[in-house]
Formats: sequence, structure tokens, C-alpha cells
Amino acid sequence: MTPAILVIGELREDKPTDASREAAGVARRLVGDAPVMGLLIGSPVEPAAAGWCRDGVDTVRWLAEPPAGGRLAGALVPSLLALLSEGSIELVLLPSTGFGRELAGALAARWDAGAATGVTAITRTAEGWEVRRPVFGGRATETRILSGPRAVVALRPRSFPAPEPREAPAAAAVQAVVAPGPWAAGPTRIGSEPVVSGGGPALGDAPIVVAGGRGVGSSDQFRLIEELAGALDAAVGASRAVTDAGWRPASLQVGQTGRTVTPQLYIAVGISGAIQHVVGMIGSRVIVAINSDPSAPIFKVADYGIVGDLLQIVPALTAEIRRVRGR
Amino acid sequence: MEIAVCVKPVPDPDTRLRASPDQRTLDPEGVKYVLAGYDESAVEQGLLLREQIPGSAVRAFAFGPAPRAPEILRSCLALGCDSATHVAANEPVDDPLVVAAALGTVLGSRPADLILVGKQALDDEEGLVAPALGALLDRPSFSSVTDLRWSPDRARFSFRRSTEVEVERWEAPPPLVLGLQQAWNDPRTAKLPNVLKARRMPIESVPAAPGAAAGRSVPLRFDLPAPRAGARMIEYSTPAEAAERLVRILREEAKVFP
Ligand SMILES: Cc1cc2nc3c(=O)[nH]c(=O)nc-3n(C[C@H](O)[C@H](O)[C@H](O)COP(=O)(O)OP(=O)(O)OC[C@H]3O[C@@H](n4cnc5c(N)ncnc54)[C@H](O)[C@@H]3O)c2cc1C
Repeated sequence: MTPAILVIGELREDKPTDASREAAGVARRLVGDAPVMGLLIGSPVEPAAAGWCRDGVDTVRWLAEPPAGGRLAGALVPSLLALLSEGSIELVLLPSTGFGRELAGALAARWDAGAATGVTAITRTAEGWEVRRPVFGGRATETRILSGPRAVVALRPRSFPAPEPREAPAAAAVQAVVAPGPWAAGPTRIGSEPVVSGGGPALGDAPIVVAGGRGVGSSDQFRLIEELAGALDAAVGASRAVTDAGWRPASLQVGQTGRTVTPQLYIAVGISGAIQHVVGMIGSRVIVAINSDPSAPIFKVADYGIVGDLLQIVPALTAEIRRVRGR
Repeated sequence: MEIAVCVKPVPDPDTRLRASPDQRTLDPEGVKYVLAGYDESAVEQGLLLREQIPGSAVRAFAFGPAPRAPEILRSCLALGCDSATHVAANEPVDDPLVVAAALGTVLGSRPADLILVGKQALDDEEGLVAPALGALLDRPSFSSVTDLRWSPDRARFSFRRSTEVEVERWEAPPPLVLGLQQAWNDPRTAKLPNVLKARRMPIESVPAAPGAAAGRSVPLRFDLPAPRAGARMIEYSTPAEAAERLVRILREEAKVFP
């Protein structure tokens, strides 16, 4: 029998995020023609539901967010459990974002399910759901079997293709599900600020990252990195040498004590390639290094290298990218 | 304030990774297991809070088989934790939900005001233990937490939670379970007298609840990427030419942007 799947999606600006759309496409591929239930967290917006149906889900429910907009995974679990028993669901798919992982852990614990996060491939086998996921900062990949009758799998954003839009089935009745917040008097969200990202998209989320190291020379010259990132719509990253020197905030640090990033393209500029930096970026699909020292270890992990003075190469690269992108 | 910190022994970050003979997991042969990454930060955070809140205790918990688990508990004692509890399993278990269940059973009977966990372990990077513990103990749980502070007059914690797009500010009363993302570039190191003192401190051992071995997430294969061949170097005579060549390769060959 084909398993029933629930996909949990996140909204950004009233639309399902790309990662939520990818999850819908994965669910569709896994079950063929069998029904896929979708659940969006937030306040109901009809066009969002219709678009998501074209990506692969058949019915869309809404889980109301607590009034303050503060998301507490644990508070959503009781309503999720009710929904899961109703649809005899065996697999829950959701984006492996920060919140998606919180929800995966809380839900799996109460649903008595196996769980995996950061998953980049999933197939059904006789033993259960076989999942692949990068570990050790992308230095290795593990394959696991989630063998129990129930599983929660968080899918790494941008690791699956964007779904081909299909003929949407007549959008099924969109039903609201109300989340009772058991900790109504507990945690309160008192505000938020956009992520300090050095200008462009957030580091954890960006398909391209341009990172600068000590070789950039000064806080002023670090603007060269930001200009290149701007031309590429990329996020800005930094080595610890840069954040320690205070040229840029610690939130931009990539590496063992900073963030782990896995973009499509990582451009390391004036970074030597110390292991503590490399563990944070080795999972990137394509790595480019620009360094004046031909024996810098970064060239061992890079796919493409330019040996030269970054003060000359980077502005030329920025100009060339602006030229080909016509701006 | 009672602060519980849950830590996991992980391979030293400098470990050269190798697959085990059956290819299923990391080969543990010759690997040194240490307190590292966000777990190290969780201990540091617990100790900083204890310095700030009179009458607090920081208690370390680790699940797993000896000798790894008791060894990293010993490092926690050397850093200054007040007590250490080994939730003993006979074999290594790497199913995070099993880990959370085993720790949850022990922590459930020792009410802590604050349970601190690294937001994810340095090796498997699942990030499931903090939210699972929160759900099992029926307490609010947050991950990706930084800037944790205690405000005594309001009897509340304040902290930040990072999402992909924003940093949220939260306030919450105890009890709480937090997965820390804070990274101190220079967390405290154990001083020699404390290392010596820690050697004489007892480590309590409690057996993991029965059933805490049958994981539902079972490792099948551990693959290492083919070693990167080393960078293909771009030859050029002027910076403009280097740029033009690189951009062409990235568009046409690597296909990383249109
Ligand atoms: C416990 C621990 C944790 C750590 N965590 C992290 C971490 O999370 N992230 C991190 O990044 N580091 C981390 N480090 C530090 C790490 O070991 C390195 O010291 C750091 O990454 C070096 O930064 P860098 O490459 O920018 O500087 P350097 O190593 O000084 O390299 C600068 C590079 O710039 C090149 N260069 C100089 N001038 C030019 C020019 N004009 N044009 C082109 N190239 C030029 C040089 O050839 C050199 O290769 C950690 C260290 C420890 C001990």
C-alpha cells in the first residue's frame, strides 16, 4: 500500500517558501498518485494554498500561529498529533530549517517516530525510509534507514529540484486547524531584527556565498567582498581572522565556531584554508579560491583557483559579473 | 538555580575521517572523543549563569557507553561543573530520539530550572535532542539560541533565537530547554588544579531506561567524498582575463549561475 504523507510548509510573505515547495514535490514523487496532505503554518491565504497544490499536495490545512507570531514547536504538536491520526499518516516531510528541525524533534518524540534532519535524498525501501544526509560539516555523508512505522524527515533546502507545476486538482476545501498553546503564559516573543548579513541574503540561506579572510587587508577593503557579493546576490561570509579583528560581526563567521554553509557556490577570498574554516564550507557544491599564495591549503579543497592579488582580481571579477548580468 | 547541561562525546574536530570496516559508520578506531562545538558552548553558558546567579549548580549529563561518556563528563567537571551523571548504555547509540528519551527519563526525576544542550552535535548535526527533550518533559524548548541572560527581578530568561531570516528576541520563565548556538571563540579551558580535582570527583552512573537501545534510525553506510583533485588553476595575463575565464567556467561548466 502506498504510504500517506503529510507535508508541513512554511510561509514567507504569504507564499510557501522554496523549501516547502521542494518538500511538496518530494512527497508527490514518493507516493505517485496517492493523496498528499499539506499543512501550512500561519494565517490562511487562498492563493498560497492553490500554488502549493500545483507543487504536489492535494489538500491544504492551516495551523494558526500563536497571536504574537512566536513559533513554539512544542505548542503545535498536540494539533499535529490529532491531524496525523486522522489521516493515518506514516511519513511527515518538512523543510530542514531552524524551526523545521525544532518541529521534527518535538513531533517525533511525541509521535514515537524515527527522525532525520538535513536530508538530501530519500527513497522507500523494504526496510523503511532510506535517507542520505551530510554529516561532519559536509566532510562525509551518511545513509540511514528509518525503520519504524512512523518517520519525520526534514529536507535540506535547495537539495531537491523545484517541482514542475501540475494541473491543480480543484483546490480542496481549505480547513483551519486551531493550535491550542499549552504555554500561553510562558515564553513571549518580544521582537525581532533581520539577520545581520552584511547586506545581501542571510548566510544560512544563500545559494552563493562570498567570504573574505585576513588577506583582504582591512575593514575598508572588505567592501570589495561585499561588492562582489552584491553583484552575485550572494551572502557575505568571513574567516575568524576577520571577525576577531572586528572588521565584520561574528555572525558572518564561517567555520567550526561559526556557521556551516552549503551553498551552490562558495568563493573564498584571501582565506588560507585552515581546517577550522574548511569544515564550515566543505559541503558547498562548487568552491572557488582566490589567493596570492599558490601553496595555500585552500586550493586543495577548491574546484577552481586563481593565484593573484585579490585587490586586483576581485574588482575585475565584480565588473565582469555585472557585465554579463547586464547591470 | 539548577542548571542541567547535556553533552555528547564527539570525535575531535581534527579527526581524519575513515569508514568502519563494515562501511556503516565512522571508524572509531584511534579516534579521540571530546567535548566540542555547541556542547562546549552549552557548558560555558551554564558556568557563566552560575557565576551570575548565587546558589546555582551546573550538573552535567552524558548518555552512552563507557569510557567515552564518563571521560567527557570528567572534562565537564574539570571545567567547573558541580556534578556529573552518566546515563549508561551498553553500546553506542546514535539515534537522537533514543538519546533524548534516555536523558529525558533521568532528567524527569530531577527537576532542573534550565536544561542546556548544544543546538546540534558536531558529528551527526541532527539538532533533534533539544526539541525532543522539551516535548518529552513537556517544557518549552528553543534551538539556535544565543545571548541567554537571566533577569533576577523579573525571574525570567531573555534570549535570542536565530531563524534563516531574522533574529527573534524572547523572554521566558523557567523551566526551559534550550539548544544553544552561541559560540565563544575562547571558551574557558580547564586549569591544571581543577583537572586534578576532577579526577577525584565521583561520576554518578545510572542505567539507561530499558528499551533505550532499539533505535528506529539505523546507520547503513558512511561515505567519504572522493578526495578533491585540487583546484583547477585559471591561467591569465591580466585580472580582467582571469575574471572573464572564471565567470565563463562558472556559467558554462559548473552551471552555478545563469
Ligand atoms: C578552536 C578554534 C576554532 C576556530 N574556528 C574558526 C572558525 O570557525 N572559522 C575560521 O575561519 N577560523 C577558525 N579558526 C581559526 C583558523 O585556525 C585560522 O586561524 C583562520 O581561519 C585564518 O583566517 P584567514 O584564512 O582569513 O587568515 P590567514 O590564515 O592569515 O590567511 C590569509 C590568506 O590570505 C592570503 N592573502 C594575503 N594577502 C593577499 C592578497 N593581497 N591577495 C590574495 N590573497 C592574499 C594569504 O596568502 C593567506 O593564505 C579557529 C581556530 C581554533 C583554534
